[in-house]
Amino acid sequence: MSLPENLKKFRQKFFGNSVSAFGWTSLILLILLAIAPAKNFFSDWLRYQRGYERLISRRSDAVTLRRHFESGIQQIWLPELGVVDRCTTCHSAMKEATLADVSLQPYRPHPPIPHKLEEFGCVLCHRGQGTATSVEDAHKSTLAWEEPILPAKYLESSCGQCHQRDLQGTPQLNLGRKMLRAYGCVHCHTIKQPDGSVITATDDPPSLTHIADKTSREWVFAWLKDPQAYSTTATMPNFKLSDDDARDISAFLISSSTPASLKLVQSSLDTAKKIKDDATLQTKASSLYGESFCASCHAVQNAAGNLVGGNIGPELTKVGSKVRPEWLQAWVRNPHDYDPATGMPHYRFNDEQVGELTGFLLAKSDADLLANLHLDAATPEQIAHGKRLVNDYGCASCHEINGVKRPENFAPELTKIGSKPVNQLAFAPGVDHNLYSYIGAKIKQPRAFGASLKMPQYTFTPSQVDALTSALLSHNERALTIPAAKTVPALPPSHYEPAGKAGQLIADLNCFSCHAINGRGGDMAPDLTWEGSSVQRDWLLQFFRDPNTLRPALIRRMPKFNLTDAEIATLTDYILTVYQSPKVDRDSMPLTGYPPGQVELGKQLYYSKYGCQSCHIIDTKQDKGYIGPTLTHVGSRLTAAWVYNWMKDPAALRPGTQEPKRNMSDDDARALTAFLMSQRGNEKQEAKR
Amino acid sequence: MSTTFNRYFGELRKTRIWRSVFRGGTGQSTLRNSMAIQQNVFLHLLPTKVRTRMIDFNATWYLGTLTLGTFGILVITGILLMLYYHPSAPQAYADTKDLQFVVSSGQFLRNLHRWSAHAMVFLVFAHMFRVFYRGAYRPPREFNWVIGVILLLVTLLLSYTGYLLPWDQLAFWAITVGSNIASAVPIMGDKVRFLMLGGHFVNANALLRFYVLHCMILPLAALFFIAIHFWRIRKDGGLYTRHSEPDAVMTTAPAERPL
Repeated sequence: MSLPENLKKFRQKFFGNSVSAFGWTSLILLILLAIAPAKNFFSDWLRYQRGYERLISRRSDAVTLRRHFESGIQQIWLPELGVVDRCTTCHSAMKEATLADVSLQPYRPHPPIPHKLEEFGCVLCHRGQGTATSVEDAHKSTLAWEEPILPAKYLESSCGQCHQRDLQGTPQLNLGRKMLRAYGCVHCHTIKQPDGSVITATDDPPSLTHIADKTSREWVFAWLKDPQAYSTTATMPNFKLSDDDARDISAFLISSSTPASLKLVQSSLDTAKKIKDDATLQTKASSLYGESFCASCHAVQNAAGNLVGGNIGPELTKVGSKVRPEWLQAWVRNPHDYDPATGMPHYRFNDEQVGELTGFLLAKSDADLLANLHLDAATPEQIAHGKRLVNDYGCASCHEINGVKRPENFAPELTKIGSKPVNQLAFAPGVDHNLYSYIGAKIKQPRAFGASLKMPQYTFTPSQVDALTSALLSHNERALTIPAAKTVPALPPSHYEPAGKAGQLIADLNCFSCHAINGRGGDMAPDLTWEGSSVQRDWLLQFFRDPNTLRPALIRRMPKFNLTDAEIATLTDYILTVYQSPKVDRDSMPLTGYPPGQVELGKQLYYSKYGCQSCHIIDTKQDKGYIGPTLTHVGSRLTAAWVYNWMKDPAALRPGTQEPKRNMSDDDARALTAFLMSQRGNEKQEAKR
Repeated sequence: MSTTFNRYFGELRKTRIWRSVFRGGTGQSTLRNSMAIQQNVFLHLLPTKVRTRMIDFNATWYLGTLTLGTFGILVITGILLMLYYHPSAPQAYADTKDLQFVVSSGQFLRNLHRWSAHAMVFLVFAHMFRVFYRGAYRPPREFNWVIGVILLLVTLLLSYTGYLLPWDQLAFWAITVGSNIASAVPIMGDKVRFLMLGGHFVNANALLRFYVLHCMILPLAALFFIAIHFWRIRKDGGLYTRHSEPDAVMTTAPAERPL
């Protein structure tokens, strides 16, 4: 009982009478009150500022650094952006380039960026809590703040808040945005850009209205079960369907299909059958496949298992197991007969060639794909169930299907997904409790969030998942509220349609699948918007007749479409007349007849002053430049006016070109033009052609 | 030293300025003492005479006084908080963040206000329970019990209205739920909610309304009823102790000490 005894003594001593009790209580209260200013004094930001002063005092430029340094709470306040950032309170050296060797945070200087700190603040890009002045509150997710600092790997998403166009410095964001369109995400999820326009898909999910003409129910079943088993590069995701569900959906799709009007030429079919079963004939047919540059768009797996070819059209490794021969010969003859909206060009093959190619492709089959697969004839109940499933899974969001309407807003809108409050998310087990982990996990394995979810399984690499996550994070509340003056809006979609007979030809040949004109079209081949200013008529005529590549290092080339002379003349005249740049008058400079002195001066400039040979080839024996196009025939290809203007300012003619602007004088440019225009290749060979 | 102090204090009390403020005059008689209390606007709430047994800790546990103490803290910290706070959306939330991150001892100020508010609600209930179980609400103190109940309501309303002011998620949903409860009142429920929120939803109007209630109307109401409450203590014959019962039989009377 010594303790209570002691306590009693203690009480007697300090609280025995009212005066000392009051005194001691006051003292205790005073000490407790002192905690408040003490906490101020020991706050994070004061400690870091003292640390910074110590750090700069040891450096040679301490005087300058100290003059730049401002103590106390620092703040970037931008009312129109809703920015109140006090990050620079601790991150004192943001703009001190001389501290580049310091790696210790928070004193590391900011890497060079095209924006000023004072104009955008920190949180706009990095997220986190800008108003906070303690380490945890500023960077982490707390009870009162659920938006932590954005990890560096998603940082590009922040550029996308203002920049709706692709930037050179944001390859990941560009990829993610491309994927949102190319993997059909936006078929089901609506995503609006800040200017109010809806992002449109660039993939081309085939219409299933005539599916029974094209393929068998067994193939549809196998495809539905696992699209990647047929083609590793398939865009179609895996819906993880049960056997019964896949059986019923395939039953419905086949039963709802209507016949297409396909042109059947028996001779082509016979040739095809002959070639399909004969290896030597196939080798001969393969040269037609090569000459037609099918591989520019379609890939085929080679013996080593690598895909060879482009990714614009579907992979053809197992196409023989998929399509019906009657359909294939009609498709090769003119794809527009089956699908008027296809991106595949209409090659002018004759019946013999059609048969050759059809046979060659039919031989590309995989006997295992549909082996042991037998489906009984569908019952009406199965078909009805299949239709219900097609509605449930939103198949019609992507594909046109007879008897099923395209659902509006099938999946949640993602316009503000990048700022969705974490408390509104249902997390799967094992997913970190923050927005970017949620988005990443959802893309990687949607069904982990619940087996009943409809979102299908894609096969993305981790870097693709990160790219998509970045692209989605850029669609947030902030992006929608940033003043228009601070943003770079997306290019408006071009609905350019070339006119007349040439327009019909361009549509028939699907030039836009590879070439862009006036903002519409693909990016695989050169932009043709100013083609009329740049090339000579004779060269263009010859090029259509027998396209040979300008850049020897490329595998993908312009195919030979077997056009008639009349068609070639129509296209050439149209291009030369219509696709002219207002900046270049194609007739302002002569193609030939430059004085030899000027040509010689140009040659010297070419090889010494400007060192053009590092990227271009003129002397095939010596030059090793493979980056730019070969210039051995440039004098018979390009117009002099174009070459001259190109020398002066390449980016003005083709934005984004790799050709550097060399700020050359008019005389230099003229001399180089004279030299280049003298490069007309081997005149004899030219004449023979 | 005390004689020196008394001498100067005596001189001070004779000055014309002092006399103009304190009308009671000087002198040590009982009449002068009681007049000093009665004729002072602040002290007139107190009884002219207080028995020591009434201010014994065991008599009341000081619960009422402690409640007044927390109210005092709340008024002082509340006024200081008002210096930093705009009752507008979304500035209100930014201001609470500023208090947390940049105002010197701002977080201390907020915490003091918040914990005092919690303590006040707790003390009010403790006070009422003590009064109830001691039977101190009985005549002649039944009216003061009614005043006490009004003060309880004012305290709870102060607490409730203050909850919205940080303008965070917790505040928003608490007031949304609270106002929906109010709308469950038969017949005029929706009107009551509309009156409370100045609209159909918790928005900037509700924030302004709650701010005015919290910083102006309710504190004045509290002051008004506290004044009545204290004045009635005096009129009802001082604090209730067991001696207040006319038929109280005290086995051990505490020693009487002069005040």
